[in-house]
This record gives sequence, C-alpha cells and structure tokens, in this order.
Amino acid sequence: MVTPSSSRVERARWVLLAYRLPREPSSPRIAVWRKLKRLGAAQVLDGLVTLPLDSRTREQLEWLADEVVDAGGEATIWLGELASRTQERTLAAAMTGQVAADYSRVIAAAEQAAEEAPGQRKRSLGRLRRELRRIRSRDYFPPSEREQAVAAVEALAALVEEPVG
Amino acid sequence: MRWATREHCHVDRAACAWLIRRFIDARAEFVFVADPADVDDDATPFDMRGVELSHHGGDCSFETFLRRYELDDPVLWEIARIVHEADLADERFDAPEAAGLDMLLRGLSMTKDDETMLSLTGPLFDGLYEFKKRALLLGRDPA
Repeated sequence: MVTPSSSRVERARWVLLAYRLPREPSSPRIAVWRKLKRLGAAQVLDGLVTLPLDSRTREQLEWLADEVVDAGGEATIWLGELASRTQERTLAAAMTGQVAADYSRVIAAAEQAAEEAPGQRKRSLGRLRRELRRIRSRDYFPPSEREQAVAAVEALAALVEEPVG
Repeated sequence: MRWATREHCHVDRAACAWLIRRFIDARAEFVFVADPADVDDDATPFDMRGVELSHHGGDCSFETFLRRYELDDPVLWEIARIVHEADLADERFDAPEAAGLDMLLRGLSMTKDDETMLSLTGPLFDGLYEFKKRALLLGRDPA
C-alpha cells in the first residue's frame, strides 16, 4: 500500500479547547467568549473551539481552560488534526471569511476617513492602524482583503502627512 | 531555593524569573520542565496551569507574583502592565511597548535555550526597570 506523502505533510495541526461553563453567572462566559473572539478561534460545536496549533495559540487556550475551571466549569485541551482534508479546508475558509469581513470594515472606514477634517482624519488613522494590528494577530489564513486593507490604511496615512492648506 | 517553570520561556516567565532573582530570592535556581507533573517536590512552580503563582482572575503570572509577595513598588507595576499586554494582548492596559517586547523575546526564545534566555533578559529587565523608575521620578520619559 502506498500512501501519497503529500496528503500527510500538508495536514494542519490544531489545538482544541473543550469546555463547559455554568449558565450563571454570565460574566465568566462573556469574558471567555470575548477572549476566544480576540484570538480568532473557530467554533466547532457548542463548547468546542479550535485554533491552528503553535506555541502561542496552545498557551492562550491553556490559560483560558484554567479560567474556565476557576469559574467553576470544566475544560480540557486537545491536540489533533482533521481526518478529512475537505473539512480542514472548510474550517480554514470559515476562519478566512471571518477576518476578511473584518478587513473589509477597515477598508470602508479608511475610505470614509479620507473625507474627514485633517484632525479627525489623523485620529481615525491611529484607530485603524490599531484595528489592523488586532485583526492581523488573529489572521491565520490571510484573505486577499488583508493587502487591500493595508493599502487603504497606507493611503490614508499619505493623506495625513500632506501639509494642510 | 529552586523554582520550576515550563520550558521554552517567553515574556511572562522571563519577567517572573528576573523578578524572583532581584526582589524575592537572590540565589534562585531555575529548572525548566515539559509538563507540570515533572516538577520536583522541593521546587516552587510558577507560570504553569493549576499552580498558585500563575495566571489568576485575568492577571498574568508576573502580576500574581506582585500581589502574593506584596511588592507594591509602582515601577514594578509599570512593568507588569507591559508584561501583561505582551503576554495576553487583551488591551486591559494601554502599553504600546508590549508589542516590541513580545517580538524581541519571542525571537530570543527561537534562537536560545532557557538558561541563555534568562541570562539575556535579566539585564534587559534591569534596564527597563531603571528607565521606568526615572520616568516615574521625572514625570516624563528620561533621555
């Protein structure tokens, strides 16, 4: 039996957090949900989330697991890979779609900010640069919108640098 | 005293090790383990899942150390804000220095073993402490 080697090397590894939190109080649930969102974690099922495995994503999910346990819940960390390559692509595409939407909002906001008064425009630039950094930190499968968003914010920066009047 | 933490140190563990040597235990010895279950009984574990000197209530381990050892030096709390953001990036604090520190230490951890890492980051945190101390006394960044 010959297994095509390419199908083995390309398979991504994932870190998964399986967790359950008491329904009340709701504040730990919300805190965990916010942190998962900031990390860009994909929801596999209710109470099962995943990220592409690296030392940072694993550590961040491990801390979240501790937070769940501290809040009276249950949590376990798993490492794994998807058996189906099609499902892996579907999962990656869903994660790409999420950040693509975030980048699109930055592009629209940058275009809008170009019409603003100079002072306001400069503040918008700072805000959009921070937003771009945040999105990039959870961008595991970059969409084409990423380059467009970077270009849109740079175009705004060029406008800000122009002397007034 | 012996202190144990996870191998492949990053910013929180490096900062804690510096804090221990400088403010808690000048003769501290560090051991690095792959799994919390590997910690010997005579070593105090830190920055590991399920131990006291670790992340708690949204704090990173460095902040936990400051609370547990009642280190109320405002310069250390300034450093804690940076370490927190470099480690967790949850925007609890406004610490623009964090992104740079995170990158520098992440790079070091890719090229150096844990012992070397701590010997390099120790002087770095000494310098950061001195800078933040002067900044606090002056009320602005020192030249």
